[in-house]
Order: sequence, then C-alpha cells, then structure tokens
Amino acid sequence: MRPNRNTSQLLLRLLFKAAWVRKDRAFTALVSVAVVATIATAALTIYSDLESKLSREFRGFGANIVVTKNSGALTAGELAGIHKTVGDSAEIVPVGYAIATETKSNAKIVVGGADIDKLRRLNSSWSFSNAGQGSALVGARVDETMTHGAALQLSFGKTSALIKPAGFFHSGSDDDSRVYIPLEDFVRLTGVQPNTTLVRVEGRPDEIQNAIASLSAALPQAEVKPVRQITQAQTAVVGKTRSVVLASSAVVVVLIMLCMVATFTGSVLERRKDFAVMKALGASNRTVNFLFASESALLAIAGSAAGYIFGCGIAFWIGKANFDAAILPQPLLLVPVLLGSVLLALIASTAPLRLLQQIQPAGILRGE
Amino acid sequence: MFLRLLFESFRRQKRRKSVALLAIALGMSIATAMIAVGNDIGDKINQELRSLGANLVITPVEDTLDVNIGGVNLKPASEGAFINEQDLVKMKGIFWGHNIKGYAPFLNAPRKIQTRNGELNAELIGTYFAQPLHYGNEQFTTGVRSVNPWWKVEGTWPQDYGDFPEQLPPDVLAGSKLAQQAELNIGDQIEIGGRKLRISGILNSGGDEDQAIVAPLHIAQMILHQPNAVRRVTVSALTKPEDAFARKDPDKMSPAVRDRWYCSPYANSIAYQLREVLPNARVEQIRQVEQNQGKVLSRVSGLMLLLTLAALLAAALAVSAAMAATILERRQEVGLMKSLGAGNSAVASLFLTEAAFLALAGGTIGFIAGAILAHRIGQSIFGSAIVVHPVVLAVVLFAAVLVTFLGSAGAVRKAMQFDPAIVLRGDA
Repeated sequence: MRPNRNTSQLLLRLLFKAAWVRKDRAFTALVSVAVVATIATAALTIYSDLESKLSREFRGFGANIVVTKNSGALTAGELAGIHKTVGDSAEIVPVGYAIATETKSNAKIVVGGADIDKLRRLNSSWSFSNAGQGSALVGARVDETMTHGAALQLSFGKTSALIKPAGFFHSGSDDDSRVYIPLEDFVRLTGVQPNTTLVRVEGRPDEIQNAIASLSAALPQAEVKPVRQITQAQTAVVGKTRSVVLASSAVVVVLIMLCMVATFTGSVLERRKDFAVMKALGASNRTVNFLFASESALLAIAGSAAGYIFGCGIAFWIGKANFDAAILPQPLLLVPVLLGSVLLALIASTAPLRLLQQIQPAGILRGE
Repeated sequence: MFLRLLFESFRRQKRRKSVALLAIALGMSIATAMIAVGNDIGDKINQELRSLGANLVITPVEDTLDVNIGGVNLKPASEGAFINEQDLVKMKGIFWGHNIKGYAPFLNAPRKIQTRNGELNAELIGTYFAQPLHYGNEQFTTGVRSVNPWWKVEGTWPQDYGDFPEQLPPDVLAGSKLAQQAELNIGDQIEIGGRKLRISGILNSGGDEDQAIVAPLHIAQMILHQPNAVRRVTVSALTKPEDAFARKDPDKMSPAVRDRWYCSPYANSIAYQLREVLPNARVEQIRQVEQNQGKVLSRVSGLMLLLTLAALLAAALAVSAAMAATILERRQEVGLMKSLGAGNSAVASLFLTEAAFLALAGGTIGFIAGAILAHRIGQSIFGSAIVVHPVVLAVVLFAAVLVTFLGSAGAVRKAMQFDPAIVLRGDA
C-alpha cells in the first residue's frame, strides 16, 4: 500500500494522538531512553578525557625526566634545546653539584646550585619551613647534624662563603643531606656550571615517552633518563583507572539498555489491543510496523537528545567536582548516542510485533 | 482474598511480571557492581601506587651526612652509624604491621673491583632481593624485587645467600652503566676485597644503582666486614592520605586523641610506631611518594564515587520508569477493583505488595549478577577479586523496594484518580 495524502495525514494523527492521549506512557518511554543516553554520554565523555585529567595529578611528584651531561657542563645551546623540545608548559630546573667542607666540623657536604624558587615549585611535596632572610635551602639532616638553624660556613677549596638559610626542607631523599644555593652564587663560588637538568613534563604517559625520545635525539652528548618509578606508576594508575571506568561504564550502559528494551517491549506488548484494532480495520503488517516504529523513533530522538545534554552536564560537573577542571562536551558523541538510541528503540518496539503478528486479531480482541 | 489476588496476579500475568522483574534485576545488578567496584577501587589503586616504591625511609639517628653526587658515594665506608639487621623484622610486629607491604635494607660502600680487563672503582650495594623471613608464626618474603618494582634485570636475579657459599662464587647484579663501561657480561667473574663473585644479571634501575654492583646483603656485609649492619632501609607501607590530624604532634595529644591518631594508618603514625621498635632510627616519609599518592588516590576514588552515584541514579530512574510503565497499563484492573467496591487503600496495598515481592526477588537476582560482574572486573583489570560485602545485599534490597515503590506509587495514584466507569469503558 502506498500511502496517499489522506493516509499520511491519518498516520501523523495516529502518531501524535498515541503520544498525546497516553502522555504518561510516552513519558515513561522517554525517561528510559533519556537515562540510557545520559549515562552513555556521561561515561564516554569522562572516559575520553580521563587520561589527561588524571595525568595532571602526577605533576606533584616533581621531575619525571633527568638530563645529565656525561662530561662537562650543559651549554647554553643545550639548555635552549631542552626548552625548545619540551615546550613552555614544562618546568625546567638546571642544577649543578659540588662538594664543600663545613669549616667547623670539617665534614663534607654536597651543595647544589639552582634557581631556588623553581626548585621549590618543582618539589612541591617537600615540606618547607621558613628560616629567615638568607637565600639557601638547607636539608633537614644538614640542619639536624650541623647548623641547628644557624648559618653555615662552607669552604669550596679556594673560595668560601657564609651560607644563610632561607628555609629548611624535609624530602625523605638524599636531598636532606644537601644545601641548595642560588645558581649565580654557586657558579661564582665553585666556577662550575650545571651539568644536570630536572625536567617536569606534563602529559599522558605516551606524551612523556615522546618527550624523552625527542630530548635524547636533541641532546646526543647528554643522558636523558625518565624517573622510572614515577612514569611507571603513572602508566599503571592511569591505565587501570581507565580500564575500570570503561568496564564499569560498559556494564552500566549495557544493563540499562536492556532495562530500557524491557520497558519498551513491555509497553508495546500491552498495546496488543491497539494492534488488533488496527489489523481488524484492515491495516497491513507494514503499516502497523511503520506506525509503532516511527512512534518509538520519535521518542528515542527526543529522549536521547535530552539525555545527551544531561550527560554532558554530568560529565562537566564530575570534572569540576573531582578534578577542579571541567570535562568539556564531545560533539562527536551526539551522532552515535542518537543513532544508537533510535536503533535500540526500533528493535525494542518492532521485535514484539512479530510475536503479535502470529496471533489472529480476533483472538487478541477477545482477550486471549 | 488478598493473598489469592496477589498469587493469581503473579500466576496470570507472567509476562508482565517478568518484564518488571528483569528491569529491577538489571537495575540492581548495576547498583551492586558499581557499589562494589567504587568501594574497592581505593584499595586496588593503593596497591598499584606501591609501584612508586617505598614511602618511608629509615636511617640511623647518629648517621653523618650522605655525600653523594650523580651516583658516586664519597662518604668513607667506616664513617656514620648503622642499623642492626636483626631488628628489622620487628617492623612486622607494630600495630600496622600488616600494612608494611615490604622493606629493603641497604648497605653500601665504594670498593675496588677486579674484572678481567683490570681494576675500577664502583659502589658495592648489599640488599635483599626476595629474602624469606618470619616474624612469630608469620612467613613473608621481602626485598627490592617487591619494593622497587621498576628495577629490571636482564639475566637472573641472584638468590639471597645466608652465608658465603663454599664451592661456587655467589651471584650478584652489575648495574647497566657499569657493565657497559667495564664490558661486564652475564656469567663473568669479578673480585671484590679478595672474594670471587659471579654476575648473574645486568640491572637497569634508572637510578644510581646502574653504576654499582648489587649483591645479596649478607655477601656485602662479609666483603665490607660489617656483619649485621645496614645503612638505610626503605619501607613500602599502605597508608591513609595525610590530613591535618595526621600532621599533629602525638606527644601533645590527650590520651584518647593520641590513640585515635596511633590507630590510623597515616604515614606519620606508622613512622612513629617504627621508631618505637627501632631505637636510634630516624624514620622519614619519602615525601615525593607519600604526599602525592594520596592526591592521586583521592581523585580516582572520587571519580568512581561520582560515577557510582550517577549510575545509581540512572538505575533508579530506569527501574521506576519500568514499574510505572507496567502499572499504567493496568488501570482497567484498578477500575474493575474499584467498581467491585475496593477502597483506594486496598488497591494501593495490593499493588505495593506486588511491587515489594518483585523488588525483593529482582534485588536478589541483581545482587548475584552484580557481584559476579564486579568479580570479573576485578579479576580482569587488577588480577585480584573485588569482594562484595554482604551488607551491600541489604542496601540493594532496600534500594530496590524504595525505587519500585516510588515508581509504582505515582502510577497507582494516577490510575486511581480516574472514574472506574470511564476506565472500564476504555475512554481514559
């Protein structure tokens, strides 16, 4: 049957009335589609941005790459090369080390020269306590065994200086036995330029690997090493979290889809009488299928569009609440979410019709 | 009468009831799986974070400063203080002993090394690789293989010798840089302090150990003539993220507050307990690890919590919608009952009892399915099961009843608002 103008008007009226007269039925169907679309959108949006959001949390671990010159100091050109390779977002702290002698106890002590502010920022996990007007950062063990809060008289062979502390720090590493002084003082006192650069590259595990590879290529004279424990933990934690989010979202989305299919199928089966009346009035199987399918498709489009918006909102809010940075909507997701919902709704509403087609309309109307 | 109505309703409307049951079971398995995963994710990620290695370090109080630049140790071997190796096992006896996942003692000193190509200076480091130990009745294995999981060995790990073996030279590891420099290969023999050693593997740690010979602790103690001595111990402990309370000084607390602090697995309280069993030891947090892992942990747990909430809400809505849909289709029944003289409360109680039965059955099925799903997720991602706490069953059943009631109540009320005559005529 090729629908002429009158029948298409009739179909439209049937469609519209079916939804309008039984608003509550249409509403429950709409809600179940919207819930599926919401949760699918939210889960996929979060999943797509999770790696970079979670990787940011590893910035507090300090340097994740160490560049060391095998012999001699890092030249200005090499430092510029590091800056150029890793970009402006990375933190770069050149450090020089030398051994000095504390004049009172005659004990040897490692002195590092670096930009003190940058060093503090890079190692934000260290605990600092301010000590005064000086310029040096003094490790906790140096303070405990030697200075006890006072200044430190250090001799560097030919030169010597009184080092006044600006602060003390606890790190739990070898650094606790060291004193850090500003780089210019260090160079003036020791005549040594930095041969090590601590680099903190932000990014996903693969981006960090790429940075290491390009640094190695750019600096053939130097050794570029990842701080392996940190990069490895980052890879493990980010990878596992992504897998958990993916697996649990998949479980939730699949189950909730089944739930929606059950609701849809149930409500179509409840409309046996509508179906039988239509058939008894002479509608073909195709027309009835078309009617039921287009009704579900319209509901699915409306429901999934609403769900997409809700889902983006939820992802945005979760990003804000948990990562202090919004997770932005992914426009590309709209199409699969929309198509997926329509397809599901079509399957859910037309599959039970096949079942009904095997029964005589008269039987259904009699209540069999 | 009521019971018969109830029973017949289930018997005659099998299809309708099974749709509702399916929806509830699906919704509740989402709830179970997400609650289980969300609840366990903290522990699981905490275990993963142990790949950062130790978070506590123990050194002797009397020790002198470390003089160490770029992996070269310039501190004289005789200088400084030591910890007694025998005491270390006591760490397992502290209140939070079970949270001590492992520890690795280190003894190191620069030594002259004889290779077939000549002599060179390098650091000799002694440590546990995977040393079996026991404390009381508890057997455990500890060493760098578990504490420093990022150490990679090409060849084989040496065993942890108890004594210097008589026949064959004991196995040691050569750091990758040292091996390259001195052209050392697996199977080569070297000599340190007159003792012959065999290289069983090349170590790549990414750290200073790459320039050293790493030997079993007892072998190093014998070569360095320092029996029982340990310079430094790194400890890997499961801890609770630090908060303001954790940073307080326990010696200034009232006894009750102090007990609460002592019995929380903060890095600070574990360090405090370690100091109690290891006199003359200084226990520090490795702040880079300890301070940051909590942050990462709370982000991951927070994310899963929010996702769980979103999933629970979605499941609740889906189940409510399914319940509402089934009841809305039954307004003719409502009309019939009312026209036969049933009061609103009688109708409502019938429908809600039905809903309660469905909720309990669906909730139980959902709980079992959800528990299996959570178990699968745990096994496939973390290689260890996610255990669903029995209390989740109570939560899930309660939630199922609540959600089905909410879904049914609105629909029942709506169905009762209509005049029975109109409903029965099919005009509503």
